[in-house]
Amino acid sequence: MSQTDQYRFQVNLGGMIDILANHLYSSPRVFIREVLQNATDAITARKELRKVAAESKVLKEDKAHEDTASESNDYEGKVTVELSGSGEQRVLMIQDNGIGLTEEDIHRFLSIIGQSSKKGTDLLTSETSFIGRFGIGLLSCFMVSDEIVVLTRSVKEGVSMEWRGKPDGTYTIRRLETELPVGTQIYLRCKPGSEFYYEPAQVEDSLFYYGALLPYPVMLSVDGETKRVNLPSTSWMQDPEQLRSRRAEVLDLGYRLMGERFGDFIPLRTASGRTGGIAFILPRSINLNSKRLHRVYLKHMLVSDKAENVLPEWAFFIKSLIWTDELQPTASREYFYENEQLDGVRSELGTCIRQELLRMAEYEPDRLQHWIRLHELSMKALAVEDDEFLRIMHRWFSFESTFGRRELSELIREAGGRPLHYTSTVDEYRQITHVAAAQSMLVINGGYIYDTEILEKLHWIDPALQTERLSPEDVSMSFTGLTQEEREQYYSVLRVMDAALQPMRCRTELKRFEPASLPVLYTISQDALTLRSMENTVEETTALFSNVLDSLKAGVQQNAGYSTLYFNLNNPVVARIFEATDTQMITAATEMMYVNALMMGHYPMNRNELGLMNRSVLHFINWGLGNGQNT
Amino acid sequence: MEDTIYDLMEQAQDLPGGAAKLAILEEAARLADASGLKELAYEVRGEIVDCAIFNGYPLKALIAFSWQLGQFDQNPEEYEPDELLWNYKWILGKVCSFPNIPKTQVEDLVEDMRKRYAEYGYNERPYYYYKFRIAMDMGKLEEARQHLDTFRSIERDSMSDCEACEQSQIVRFYYLTGEDEQALAVAKPILSGRMKCAEVPHVTLSQVLLPLYRQGEVDKAKENHRKGYRLIRDDRDFLKTIAEHIEYLAIVDPVQGIEVVERHLHMALDYESGLEQMYFYAAMVGLLQKLDTSGENRLIRLPASLEWGKEERTLTEIIAYFRPLAESAAADFDRRNGNTFYTDWVGKIVQTA
Repeated sequence: MSQTDQYRFQVNLGGMIDILANHLYSSPRVFIREVLQNATDAITARKELRKVAAESKVLKEDKAHEDTASESNDYEGKVTVELSGSGEQRVLMIQDNGIGLTEEDIHRFLSIIGQSSKKGTDLLTSETSFIGRFGIGLLSCFMVSDEIVVLTRSVKEGVSMEWRGKPDGTYTIRRLETELPVGTQIYLRCKPGSEFYYEPAQVEDSLFYYGALLPYPVMLSVDGETKRVNLPSTSWMQDPEQLRSRRAEVLDLGYRLMGERFGDFIPLRTASGRTGGIAFILPRSINLNSKRLHRVYLKHMLVSDKAENVLPEWAFFIKSLIWTDELQPTASREYFYENEQLDGVRSELGTCIRQELLRMAEYEPDRLQHWIRLHELSMKALAVEDDEFLRIMHRWFSFESTFGRRELSELIREAGGRPLHYTSTVDEYRQITHVAAAQSMLVINGGYIYDTEILEKLHWIDPALQTERLSPEDVSMSFTGLTQEEREQYYSVLRVMDAALQPMRCRTELKRFEPASLPVLYTISQDALTLRSMENTVEETTALFSNVLDSLKAGVQQNAGYSTLYFNLNNPVVARIFEATDTQMITAATEMMYVNALMMGHYPMNRNELGLMNRSVLHFINWGLGNGQNT
Repeated sequence: MEDTIYDLMEQAQDLPGGAAKLAILEEAARLADASGLKELAYEVRGEIVDCAIFNGYPLKALIAFSWQLGQFDQNPEEYEPDELLWNYKWILGKVCSFPNIPKTQVEDLVEDMRKRYAEYGYNERPYYYYKFRIAMDMGKLEEARQHLDTFRSIERDSMSDCEACEQSQIVRFYYLTGEDEQALAVAKPILSGRMKCAEVPHVTLSQVLLPLYRQGEVDKAKENHRKGYRLIRDDRDFLKTIAEHIEYLAIVDPVQGIEVVERHLHMALDYESGLEQMYFYAAMVGLLQKLDTSGENRLIRLPASLEWGKEERTLTEIIAYFRPLAESAAADFDRRNGNTFYTDWVGKIVQTA
């Protein structure tokens, strides 16, 4: 029987192909993914059928399934891709030994193509039936071919069929006289302009790219030469722990699939075994803002090499290869649907990484330290979220301190049982670091990202680890106070000084501290600093915003307090100022010290302060000239 | 000096938004100011506004924006007006959170924005939209309802907030009025993912929790809590949204809420604006009151930065410490707004002792 009938399906196929090419698929090369997907789906379907048949022996009696039941037990899927011809005459044939299509199947997938057009761009992921997907997959082939020929024989029916489709929507179906092997063959003839996608190297690349992890042979045959394209064995996917003993092989695979030479990895597996993977540790530090792109295989086929959300956010030191049969990709395939399942998988995979780091801490501290040095921020990010992790890891984290950049364990030792002092901002740290270091006072800079959070949580994980947030004024704890005698001696000078700086909301203190070369130390609290910047801004902004800032100042002012200018009695010039008796001279010297401290600290001066500087400079010039005349 | 400033800006660019990044940008601004490099100082402040607004430092944003606006008015041809006009809206979204800014000044600001938009040829949709938002911020829901109708009748132009943002504010309106069905209906395109932006659905998911729960959609509420909390938990800009999740947990699962409180309390402690702080403290107290307060020991861990928490505190003491903070903040806002909205609200969440 070989009658040929003309049909036409009710869909604007040209429009559909345009949608697929321009909106859904990033490149025409995805047609390889689609035909490969069809082949693997067909093989899976045949396996399912065999499983069902084996489970119910009764079916042996069933005539319709005789074929199935009598198949040899060692059925193995196989996909063969054959390239023939050259240039515009190139033909690509892909053959599978899967379930094959019945005549009814063919009619069904065509009607589903029609229906699918209504579903918009989500059709790839929403269509889950084998037949429906098959049809949609075929459509993508029109991007590179003007005719698609499908030869197929279903394992169920045994009738050999041929389908020929054109992009204008016309197609023919006929029954073939010859007997095809069970399975499907698809023939694509190169469309002008698509030669590139038929180049043997391109095809091989694409087959590996999408199908490297398929658990049965994917063969490529060019000019009579046939070779296996995908990985020869993927049995380790069931039990990634095996990979530990195959280091070189795994790292090589990392290079082939991810294009990067890694030095270390962590096997991943969820309890159910439905998701597994290899977490490669990036051999270089990375920017916290960079995207974390993972390579994910869904049922052995690549679904995305840009999946962002399969691992927890803190794992930015990992680039992973993930395989799963349980997650659902979004249409763009760059994310997975955020659902409870993904939450569960993500946290289980995160646990694998975390466990490995904890294991390293116990057995391979050197290896761990190496990775902490490279990826400290990532580890700190995890520690902020995870108390248990913080408890094990904190000793290796490094912090900037007045004793240099040190690991926390050393800093704890240095503190000798006293609380660890830290500033919560870089700014506060900067104000006092020089002086604190000179007094041998240990202060940690908590202004870097995650550091304050970690320091604030230390006493949660170990009550003996006390930390204390320091404000810049607190540095004076380490200064030497005056004797009673000195206090009385300098009382009147200090009063003059306070009066001079009062308009700037600054108070003075007299202490002895190191280094002696430093005449004064200016400290200002965060609130006072905010107030300063508000005042400076009032001078620059519009009348309306000045009013608003003035209103806001009232709220900040209560907490802001005064800034403090510490005079260092160890400094010879300061000692001389305090010997002075001329009130005007003391005032001018105080003002000069104040503006000098502002300039050294890079604090922009407001009009008031600039005026102050002007005035005192003039005073000193005047006095200088006067003295010159006198001698 | 210019090189140092550019270096700092580059460093800042590599950091995720937050305090560490702001510290670097502020240093750059100080250096630019101290060296009289006005244009560079303007550019740096643009970065500060952006970073501060989206990472929970509204005061820093406001100060930097004020400076920019002043510069702009002195030298309008030097700078890009659209960016500044656009950012003006962010500032208006935050001004009501500071109880010290009197009502008249808030009104003046909105009028100033209206005038500036008109000057550059933009329509009044953003003006009425912000009137709508500000009325909600001040607890004047009837007034908000009028503005809602007005702004929606004006066509959108390129200064209008995005569709998702506007929609989220309408959800908020019905959330505030307690019209659960309406809130859920308006939230639909947001929940389905059709409308989204950098802050939506983040701020909406927390506002459908109680409406869903009250409608008996317990599982949906739970799902949206999970989804929503994940989106916002690392960003202090969403402190109020976090408080809404705590409010929900107080009803559904107070014990689970302890962890959320612990995780975010440090953010609230030094938050720059009072309204968000008030929301957090009230929600937190409401939650702690649901726990068994009979034990001697505290059940929640306080951050080291809270001096008062250095000693062992019982749950009862913690409640007694934070409740007045929430109540007095509410009173401050009510005094400014001229109503009793926030006091009533805190009263609903917190049981009086």
